[in-house]
Amino acid sequence: MKFVVSSTEILGHIQAISRVISNKNTLPILDNFLFELKNGELIATASDLETTLITTIPLDASEGEGVIALPAKILTDTLKEFPEQPLTFEVDPQTLAVKLSTENGKFSIPGQNGDDYPKNPEKEQDNIVNITVASEVLLKGVNKTLFATADDELRPVMNGIFIELNNNDLTFVASDAHKLVRYKRLDGRSEVESSFILPKKPASLLRNILPKEVNPVLVEFDDKNAFFTLSNYKLICRLVEGKYPSYGSVIPMNNPFKLTIDRVELYNTLKRVSVFSNPASNLIKFELSNNELVVSAQDIDFSISAREKLMCQYEGEALEIGFKSVFLLEILQNISSANVVVALSDPTRAGLFLPYDNDNADEDVLMLLMPMMINV
Amino acid sequence: MDAFFASVEQKDNPELKGKAVAVGGGGDRGVVAAASYEARKFGVRSAMASKSALKRCPHLIFVNPRHSRYKEISDQIMAIFHEFTDLVEPLSIDEAFLDVSHNKMGLPSATAIAEEIKRRVKEETGLTASAGISVNKFLAKIASDYQKPDGLFVIKPKMVESFIEKLSIEKFFGVGKVTAEKMHQIGIFHGKDLKKRSLLELTRLFGKNGAYYYNIVRGIDHREVDPHRIRKSVSTENTFLDDIRNKEELKIRLEELVLDLYRRLQRTKFKGRTINLKIKYSNFEQITRSRTVLHEITDYKEIVELSNNILDQLELTDSIRLLGVGVSNQIKPNEVVQLTFDF
Repeated sequence: MKFVVSSTEILGHIQAISRVISNKNTLPILDNFLFELKNGELIATASDLETTLITTIPLDASEGEGVIALPAKILTDTLKEFPEQPLTFEVDPQTLAVKLSTENGKFSIPGQNGDDYPKNPEKEQDNIVNITVASEVLLKGVNKTLFATADDELRPVMNGIFIELNNNDLTFVASDAHKLVRYKRLDGRSEVESSFILPKKPASLLRNILPKEVNPVLVEFDDKNAFFTLSNYKLICRLVEGKYPSYGSVIPMNNPFKLTIDRVELYNTLKRVSVFSNPASNLIKFELSNNELVVSAQDIDFSISAREKLMCQYEGEALEIGFKSVFLLEILQNISSANVVVALSDPTRAGLFLPYDNDNADEDVLMLLMPMMINV
Repeated sequence: MDAFFASVEQKDNPELKGKAVAVGGGGDRGVVAAASYEARKFGVRSAMASKSALKRCPHLIFVNPRHSRYKEISDQIMAIFHEFTDLVEPLSIDEAFLDVSHNKMGLPSATAIAEEIKRRVKEETGLTASAGISVNKFLAKIASDYQKPDGLFVIKPKMVESFIEKLSIEKFFGVGKVTAEKMHQIGIFHGKDLKKRSLLELTRLFGKNGAYYYNIVRGIDHREVDPHRIRKSVSTENTFLDDIRNKEELKIRLEELVLDLYRRLQRTKFKGRTINLKIKYSNFEQITRSRTVLHEITDYKEIVELSNNILDQLELTDSIRLLGVGVSNQIKPNEVVQLTFDF
């Protein structure tokens, strides 16, 4: 088994898949990349048992076929340091030692038997659902929702993005029970109605490999796993098991008071004022009346306070409502329009945050945030 | 009460009278819970390792603690307090604040009440107590510590200023070892030094405690005697017979502790948002780690999972002699809380 590959080409691919490797592996072999040479192609795999990322690396030349596992850290650390040049990998089938020949040198790396590497999960052919999604749609769905996922060991379903497909649209939902994001795409329909919960880790891996993808992505899933097929990558991940809460019931239907405001201006104000909020609560107060928004915060313990007045468009009764500044900032950061619309009803109910205009006629973005309240 | 646990033991067992007694485990791993005045002369203090206590006082007699007995006497004392006023705020098993602005016995002065209480305590329990009398909690507490044992000290309103000015900073109720050290470094040794600092300066140096120090050094303490003082935390801990290194074994011990904690939570009806894990290594180095969630933790399973989770993330640097677990951070009235979706 022997192959010749461009140093930057192989580095780019293995760096992308190395993000899968966990630093707390239970199986030592998972500290390796699995390389498989077959039909003149090199397929590299990294896995943590739950998530597996596979890439196909174009070769300059190859000889023979076979599999070998090579230590990920040594390989990436060395390859990083090479200027662009062809590298020759040669595997000794007896000792499994790998000789790496470069322009000026020879490096030797002990390999491990590739057959010991865990096998990828199989698709359950009888109940597999598949859908082809534009890479831009998938990327945006993940990007808009990932920040709102929870970190809750006790409710694992909340730790992922709920992806729902049906005849009309493709919907991405994430919530940590305080904030909720629903990102809908009317141009991502599916014939079957189905859903799955994508865990955070594969979601953030997708966020890394999708931007370069130009072709539509094939998404297949069964009860246990999802399989994403891109031009150069294949991502397999175990899904979060369980039922996602019926999020629709928490979306307020009637929030009559409407605030329209410059998003960046509000964001910058919040950044300044939140420094003065109590670090335990991060409470920021909104006082709304007559096209004016007063944003204030205070920390009595340290006798500090801040208050800024912003011009806005406000239709509704005078209202005072409190929010956690960190959540507000995250939401404003994940809305892209110049102006944001906030629909409110009373200080105990969720506020609805909507972009003033969408980037795209086929999208529908909705963000929800529960307020903070004085305990009685 | 004066040297409470030790005095109870000396009273119940006359052979111990007049001798250096320490309540607590006397073995290699024991700790002194209380020391009699005879033992204190040799420098034996509570919370000291029994081994070092024996070094200071080789003839020290160790007695195993009998908590139910102390509780019994504590109840007796508290009952006596309640005969004088309803405004009794227990500070620990053997001390309490009493607001005697109105007293049930119609006694003419606070001093008369204190004398009467001390007499009754002596008569009914055979033990001596020390009383401190003043215009607020801060001063009363300092007064009670001023003349131990069997003391009675009054800080009268007109004495307050000069008394606090002369008081050394480590005697201030609410100033611990670390704060005292910090104050020494910036030249604060007595009340009068503290009084020279502005509120702004103290807030800068001590954060939210700054305002407290600013006020108490002026004799200002408006905290009321609260008979229903809110409990701040519930916890339980255990010192192992042998140090434990193995995490799996620790987890078994942790689960036993959590079960005990859960019973305590149910009994006290306490609810909090933070789980605390306390670990003392065999070299006596102590660490605490906590996890806070946004809701009140009431579920047994959740306590197990959260505390296990803290343990999982800990890298143990040594074997462990003591493990403790507790719940704190109650949602207080008027506190701001983040609301949650109902799903």
